[in-house]
Amino acid sequence: MTASPITVPAELIELLDDALSLHELAQCCRVTPEWVLTHVQAGVLQPQHGHAAADWRFASTTLVRARRIVQLEQTYDADPQLAALAADLMEEVARLRRQLGDL
Amino acid sequence: MEFKDYYQILGVDKAAGADAVKKAYRKLARKYHPDVSKAADAPQRMAEVNEAYAVLGDAEKRAAYDTVGAQAWAQGARSGDDVRPPPGWNAGYEFTQGGPAGAGASFGGDGADFSEFFEQMFGRAQAGRHPRGGGAQASMRGEDQHARIELALIDAYLGATRQISLRGARLDEHGHVVPEERTLQVSIPKGVKEGQLIRLAGQGSPGFNGGAAGDLLLELHFTPDARWQIDGRDVTQRLRVTPWEAALGAQVPVTTPEGTAVEVTVPAGSGTGRKLRLKGRGIPAPKADATPGDLYLLLETAVPGAITPEQKAAWQALAKAYPGFDPRTAG
Repeated sequence: MTASPITVPAELIELLDDALSLHELAQCCRVTPEWVLTHVQAGVLQPQHGHAAADWRFASTTLVRARRIVQLEQTYDADPQLAALAADLMEEVARLRRQLGDL
Repeated sequence: MEFKDYYQILGVDKAAGADAVKKAYRKLARKYHPDVSKAADAPQRMAEVNEAYAVLGDAEKRAAYDTVGAQAWAQGARSGDDVRPPPGWNAGYEFTQGGPAGAGASFGGDGADFSEFFEQMFGRAQAGRHPRGGGAQASMRGEDQHARIELALIDAYLGATRQISLRGARLDEHGHVVPEERTLQVSIPKGVKEGQLIRLAGQGSPGFNGGAAGDLLLELHFTPDARWQIDGRDVTQRLRVTPWEAALGAQVPVTTPEGTAVEVTVPAGSGTGRKLRLKGRGIPAPKADATPGDLYLLLETAVPGAITPEQKAAWQALAKAYPGFDPRTAG
């Protein structure tokens, strides 16, 4: 049973761009803020700017990466560094594939 | 609606222990991983596998699922309570949201990929039928939903409209679980980047008992296109030139990804691999204070074949004009 499409008003549409706070990132990844904190401290995720955790702002590309890492950690009980390694490799593959499109 | 055979999907025996289920899941998660799987139906298989593990990997859900079984389902059972006598002092099943953390989330999108079958048995509305402790139900914020959208490059220049179908469940006025499919029409603004996230506040799963609705998070990706390479807001496209245009320089017509015709000056002495930059003609900025991307033209010299006697003579004359030129040693 499908109702006719509901048009989402433009005011509700928000581009998340390089401005996710620690809590927003945690919420989007369905993890605790502590998880984000430890992963930044471990060098697995990088904020775009901000010194103190309260000032950190993350790019939406970092959110994509973070979700990937959560996925790997939870599916495979992976060590965060191993999950980060796999995420790095996936990003590199994607980058190379985009370049290959040039041939 | 069909009964889903999660044991068959994971390839495990009905008596399989938790460890065996987990091993089977991890193996299949690796097999159907979107970045490495060559299977055409990898995303669907991945979603199926994730859903199967969301149930069989969670003790409560597995127990309910085992109790219902295919036969009872065909006869109308929709939850463990429909099959067993109503629970006495141990207040019914209590389903946590989303199953084992992560298993509910497919690589493509969370929750939005679950089948109608799953929603009937385990959806948020089911959680409402079996409240914890039997006391007053607390209000709960709806879950966020995630979806992935594929765009063409032109969509980043002009913006685009997309329809997204989201599957969930709700309780009707009789307290029955009713699957619900919502279709949203969303305007994607221009200026988006690969991997860009868009949040639509309040468009996720409905809240519970007066709780606020969750958000809908859209992840935007560009469908690969051989014509362009996209890097952030910068776009690179190939520009093919004749050998004489490259050597002598020329004004060359170019169509940008947006469809605009521009004239580009190819400097004299340009070789293959040279990049020309058209400032500001990449993906536009989404807001006034941001910088638009640039369009890079990657030059490629197109060498025509020498067919007619005149053409052959012309090339030979050209070769004569460059007696010392050896590209295999130069640079």
